[in-house]
Amino acid sequence: MRYVFLVAWREYTENAKTKGFWISLFMLPLIIFLSADVSFLLEKKGTPVRHYILVDQSGQFGPVVESRQERAHEKQVLAALNEYAGKYAASPAGPQDVVPPQSLDAFISKGGEDYFLEQLKPRLKPGAPAFKAPRRPFQPATPPAQIDTNADLASLSRDLKPYLRGEKKIEANGHPVELNAAILIPRNIEKQIVRPRAKTPTANGSGIEYWSANLADSTLHDDIEQAVNEEIRRREYQARGLDAAAIREVGQTYVPFNSLNPKKEAGQEAVGAADVIRQWAPSGFVYLLWVAIFAICQMLLNNIIEEKSNRIIEVLLCSVTPGELMMGKLFGIAAVGLTMVSVWITSLFGVLIWKSTGAPDVAGALLQTLKTSHLLPMFVIYFVLGYLMYAACILALGSVCNTLKEAQNYMALITMSMMVPLLTLAFIPKDPNGTLARVLSWIPLYTPFTMMNRVNADPPMVDLIGTMILLIASTVAALWMAGKIFRIGILRTGQPPKILEMLRWLKG
Amino acid sequence: MKTISQEEAPPLEVRNVTKFYGDFKAVDDVSFTLTAGSICGFLGPNSAGKTTTIRMILEIIKPGSGTITVLGRPSALEVRQRIGYLPEEKGLYKKMKVWSVIAYFAALKGMTGKAARLRAYELLERYGLKDFAAKPTEALSKGMAQKVQMLASIAHDPEFVILDEPFSGLDPVNQQVMEEIIRDMAGRKRTILFSTHVMQHAERLCERILLIAQGKKIFDGTIDEAKRTLPRRVRIETDDDIGPLRELHGVISASPAEAVHGLAGSGGVTHWDLQIGQDTDAQAILQLCFAKGIRLRGFNQSDPTLHEVFMHLVGPAAKEVAFR
Repeated sequence: MRYVFLVAWREYTENAKTKGFWISLFMLPLIIFLSADVSFLLEKKGTPVRHYILVDQSGQFGPVVESRQERAHEKQVLAALNEYAGKYAASPAGPQDVVPPQSLDAFISKGGEDYFLEQLKPRLKPGAPAFKAPRRPFQPATPPAQIDTNADLASLSRDLKPYLRGEKKIEANGHPVELNAAILIPRNIEKQIVRPRAKTPTANGSGIEYWSANLADSTLHDDIEQAVNEEIRRREYQARGLDAAAIREVGQTYVPFNSLNPKKEAGQEAVGAADVIRQWAPSGFVYLLWVAIFAICQMLLNNIIEEKSNRIIEVLLCSVTPGELMMGKLFGIAAVGLTMVSVWITSLFGVLIWKSTGAPDVAGALLQTLKTSHLLPMFVIYFVLGYLMYAACILALGSVCNTLKEAQNYMALITMSMMVPLLTLAFIPKDPNGTLARVLSWIPLYTPFTMMNRVNADPPMVDLIGTMILLIASTVAALWMAGKIFRIGILRTGQPPKILEMLRWLKG
Repeated sequence: MKTISQEEAPPLEVRNVTKFYGDFKAVDDVSFTLTAGSICGFLGPNSAGKTTTIRMILEIIKPGSGTITVLGRPSALEVRQRIGYLPEEKGLYKKMKVWSVIAYFAALKGMTGKAARLRAYELLERYGLKDFAAKPTEALSKGMAQKVQMLASIAHDPEFVILDEPFSGLDPVNQQVMEEIIRDMAGRKRTILFSTHVMQHAERLCERILLIAQGKKIFDGTIDEAKRTLPRRVRIETDDDIGPLRELHGVISASPAEAVHGLAGSGGVTHWDLQIGQDTDAQAILQLCFAKGIRLRGFNQSDPTLHEVFMHLVGPAAKEVAFR
């Protein structure tokens, strides 16, 4: 046993020293962290302020567009304030702290940001940073002086094109800036309104023109389009003598519609975002399982081949038995894998706890799922069994090959069979107890990945326990066979043996 | 460090060992015994079965038939802590530090972690490799790596050491160091079996040699005994007829010397090798030359070298293998 430990310890320390190990150790937490934060950060800080010119020759919609932009900004301020309150308010945020988004009107009418901060002040934790309102993503700019805003749209747009293409700059707050978009509202816009029944509008024209070289971001385009059309409809209601306020109220009337899950306890059958997360979280763990097993199996292969190609194996074998060597390797690399996996899980928890503000968000729901389901213990069990299963194949393979190149040819077979769980990764949560899922569960090579994916879907007991027994039995068998092949193969030089020859070793 | 075992059993006893690889008989009924505290050279041409025999002694592979007793035990694994082994093909973990490779192998031989570490540093210092202790082994030259591997295989101060081609690939200076390491161990009454095909090393180091070819043992004895398998030789250089010398009692044969044969042209042979019996006094040949008026330009009496013995004993077999 001492020798097994010595071999395992060397495997562990030597592999823990490699760059690859540290990269894989930090890669995943980094990805988790980045995916939680960066897209958000990019949106917040990465997008530059965009400038637009609004030319309203009709003189009717300018104020509508402006107030719409203002409202959008206030909405963002409110959201930022809510997040700020969640983070820095001392007691669990009460209903007064977090103003529901519906009351944006209330927020604006009461005085917006200043009022909110005033209310929050007594509850702020000591040392909380001052609130910073988000920037306005779109800033209106005045057209350059040499442009005649009263000219017809065709010549106006021709004059504006060099600015829109970035060839010329406009001026905003004394700085030259790029013009991102130009919105041109024609003088006769009233006559261009399209109405049902009336086949054609009374005047020809292309309506409001939205000029921009940026096709990817349609936020401004959609905002303005919506604002103008809402205003047009409001006027239409008035013109027809309808009560606009009543119509808005009707538009907000609805009957609640709930998804319920019959498997949950009475009173808690409601299906929420947390349930969706609960359904899909196992897939994330399957991926983690796959990456972890694949990474350390590669490590195991490299180590065996190193010892074989350097003929270190001979010195080792006059000190330890092949059995001890194999066990040592198996445990040493398993320890490397467990270290990696526990760092991943710890950092996942860390990021989730740090990110979840107590409010019902994705991070919180995921955290709750991890705490209440069997995901983590099952992950560890399937990791160990899955690793041993594949490691047995790798040990047998590595022991009969002399160079890494030789081994990689055979490794392709293992890699290919390992692709199946990845390919089915997304299908299984949709039908976790369906035929595909059940069949794959009973194939020992795929049991860990498939059952992991089904853990949160209450698989039948026979599947859960039966596949586990089958997996354990076949892992033991695979290790036994690997031991037989390892013992003979490890001293072999020259050509890798034929399959038939290896089968003979199993008998011997 | 362990003291030498007081057991009476010889360090190694190989009895009627045979090993087949498929149809190829790698080792054929080999028997020999080593006495404690001796250095034994294990000689033989390529693919004679040396490495196979060594692997069987170490129980890395099992003999087909026959028995091997190591330090009084039927299995080398039982006494693995008391055995050291340097394999023929040398290799180290590339990324491991020099000291930790030595310490690792020593620990696998039963030393505690701390003792193994101290021992590694001690050995590296003694054999001039101290500055490389913290380097990864891939930074070493081939010769240095081989020395490190040698140190790794003897770090636990084994009673019985098997070295497979310890000198191959080393420059003369490092061969000297290697010889020094071996002599150091012999000085401490360790038993050493080393294989080589460089006869000078065997001649300098061993009391005893063991010669195998084509899997069979051909010779087992001291160096002097080995040399006695070849007749002694007197080389003379003369323009006169050496006929009378052939008649002398104790002269087995007289033939033109091989080395210079042909240089004399068709005019006549001037260099002759006389093979003489073990008990013949070379002085008698000299006296006869004077008596018969044979004018000598050169007279040289020498014992055969181990190289010649080797060529004599295994030459034909080795060639046959080489051309197979």
